[in-house]
Amino acid sequence: MAGRIVRLTEAPQGVPLRMIDVLGGHGVRRRLMALGFHPGDLIERNSDALFGGPVLVKNLTGGSSVALGRGIAQKIIVEILDGQT
Amino acid sequence: MAKLERPLIVFVGQPNSGKSTLFNAIAGHKAQTSNFPGTTVSHTHSEVYINGLILRIVDLPGTYSLNPADPAEKAALVHLFQEPPNLIVNVVDASLLGRSLELTLELLELEQPLILALNMIDLAEKKGIKINPKKLEALLGVPVVATVANRGRGIKELLSCSLACLQRNQCRPKAPRWNPDVEKYIHSLAEAIPDDFCMVANRRFTAIKLIEAGDTFCHEILGEFKPELKRKVEETRYKLESLRHLPAYEVLAAERHHLALKLFETVAKVERGRKIGLEEKLDSILMHPVLGYPVLLLIFSFFFFFIFALGNPLEQFLLKPWSWLQSWSHHQAWPPVFLALIDGLIQGLGGGLAIVLPYFLPLLFLMSLLEDLGYLARAGFLLDSLMHRIGLHGKSVAPFILGFGCNVPAIMGTRILESPRDRFLTSLLIPFIPCSARTAVILAIIAFFLGPWWAMGFYFFQLLVVALVGSILSFFLKEPSPGLILEIPSLKIPSLKIVFSKIICELRSFIQFAWPILIAGSLVLSLLQLVGADLWINRALSPLVKGALGLPSSLGVTLIFGFLRKELSLLMMLQALGIDYQALPEVLSRSQLIVFTAFISLFIPCLSTVVIIWKEISQRAALFSMLLNLSVATVVALILRLIL
Repeated sequence: MAGRIVRLTEAPQGVPLRMIDVLGGHGVRRRLMALGFHPGDLIERNSDALFGGPVLVKNLTGGSSVALGRGIAQKIIVEILDGQT
Repeated sequence: MAKLERPLIVFVGQPNSGKSTLFNAIAGHKAQTSNFPGTTVSHTHSEVYINGLILRIVDLPGTYSLNPADPAEKAALVHLFQEPPNLIVNVVDASLLGRSLELTLELLELEQPLILALNMIDLAEKKGIKINPKKLEALLGVPVVATVANRGRGIKELLSCSLACLQRNQCRPKAPRWNPDVEKYIHSLAEAIPDDFCMVANRRFTAIKLIEAGDTFCHEILGEFKPELKRKVEETRYKLESLRHLPAYEVLAAERHHLALKLFETVAKVERGRKIGLEEKLDSILMHPVLGYPVLLLIFSFFFFFIFALGNPLEQFLLKPWSWLQSWSHHQAWPPVFLALIDGLIQGLGGGLAIVLPYFLPLLFLMSLLEDLGYLARAGFLLDSLMHRIGLHGKSVAPFILGFGCNVPAIMGTRILESPRDRFLTSLLIPFIPCSARTAVILAIIAFFLGPWWAMGFYFFQLLVVALVGSILSFFLKEPSPGLILEIPSLKIPSLKIVFSKIICELRSFIQFAWPILIAGSLVLSLLQLVGADLWINRALSPLVKGALGLPSSLGVTLIFGFLRKELSLLMMLQALGIDYQALPEVLSRSQLIVFTAFISLFIPCLSTVVIIWKEISQRAALFSMLLNLSVATVVALILRLIL
């Protein structure tokens, strides 16, 4: 059964998420892909900085971590996979 | 065996994969390294003599892919295509193999001789990733050498492997093939490229770049010169898009991604469910949404007190022989010119050694420790929202922190910022960050005479100035920042060997460049005083120095020298006032000391900083930066004078 589909900023922390899509322009999509974040990858939201700061995201497939500004995190659509993997 | 004239080897890899560390392990300490993605912003080259062959090796800035996004990445590509290398060494962070292979696959498309350096293999093992290099070698068709650059492991193997490739003219890979349905369109476009078209590497690679490069630059030119080819490119893009329902460049990126993942799964075993390592525990505190901030504050306070606690006694100790020497020389019946020169020499030599170095060295030490640990990116994560207040984002934090060491590499470091507007703004703000030279001045004046807490307050005050100027500037430079995408590298235990070789490198440049300027400046001032020329300068600057700042007008001349090197104005100050260092508080009041230090540290970026802004950003930016600093310094000094 497919999990709930939400924006990355609305997803819970410490739960595997599947990256579905990036709603941003080409620049953002390319940048994310270059850093190893492709649609379809398993990711995890790890920590948030205070005061609307960035979101720390770990790619469970590739192992890399990135800090994403809220504006960008909001454009990432994920599927919540809790209890399935 | 092919005869080779000084073959060219380039190091290519993703940011923070350890290219520069590897380069330094081979070439001696020449390239700047740190645990922050994008430290190398321009290429470094060196020549190495091995087995009767001179190798030219080049360390390129890190690039995530061959489709550049920021100026540093562009620099890497320009170099790669300008002079095709005899051998590419693709440096890969083994702990991020899956992702790093995407660039490797892209490099293989060039079909140029290539070796894969599987770096940080120890870190990968610590993370539970076991890689089989032999298998990877067989699948990629190029030699794979496991290395741990910061411990010097695998360097010899890498070199002998490189030599073997060069001498036998081997290691030329075949471009990896993608899914047949995609490959079909690429092949047909590649065939359609006319022979007189400027080919990059090979037909297929050129076709791929035509599809990927988007509408950036060559597309319009293409339409003018090769309308048929342009039509064919558009047709291919359209076909690819309808094939996968994705933009064409993403279709290609996805092909590489899947290939990379498949490779990774075949050659590596990942142990899941192992216990949480020390590093992850540490990271959960360092990047904790609440705890992270006190830790950040603690680290920087420690930073500050460590430098002071070490520098202050050292300074007192080192000053003694020089002041003794000076008072001795004053009792000699020497001709005035000779005495003036000796005086200048003592000031310059002693000042550099006793006043500047005691603070400079501990700062360098801590700075490189923090850099190699990987803390800069974490600070960027924590301070992102703060940076938004001044119209920037977390990626600018790293250049800012580098600015505490020296403004010049900090401004070079702004190349990692994608948007020109962010680069401009960051470069304008960096000169307000107290660099090591100014830290020496602050510590030697404020901390030495008023106590460490005053200096600490002064430091924070200066950061406040940065924030204020930033928010004012960003008010006029309103343009949405593209938002933060910053890679957070793994924490690494700094290698003391690398930290020390970095310090020695910096020390060497201090002795070669800065110290001679300090000595020459002191000598010139001595001679100016001898002929009375300093009075003219002082009189000209008197309205500012005496009128506005309330300082003795004899300090006017020190400002001129402060432009050359910030530390110089400190030495000049003593010389201009004609007093001993310890006697300073007798001549200047507390508020005068603070006003002077604030003005000196803000009033103008030093000469090297101006030059680097000029070169990196623009002439206008450099002029604007000077004007901005001068006005901010005056306003700040006036306010300080009023409230103190």
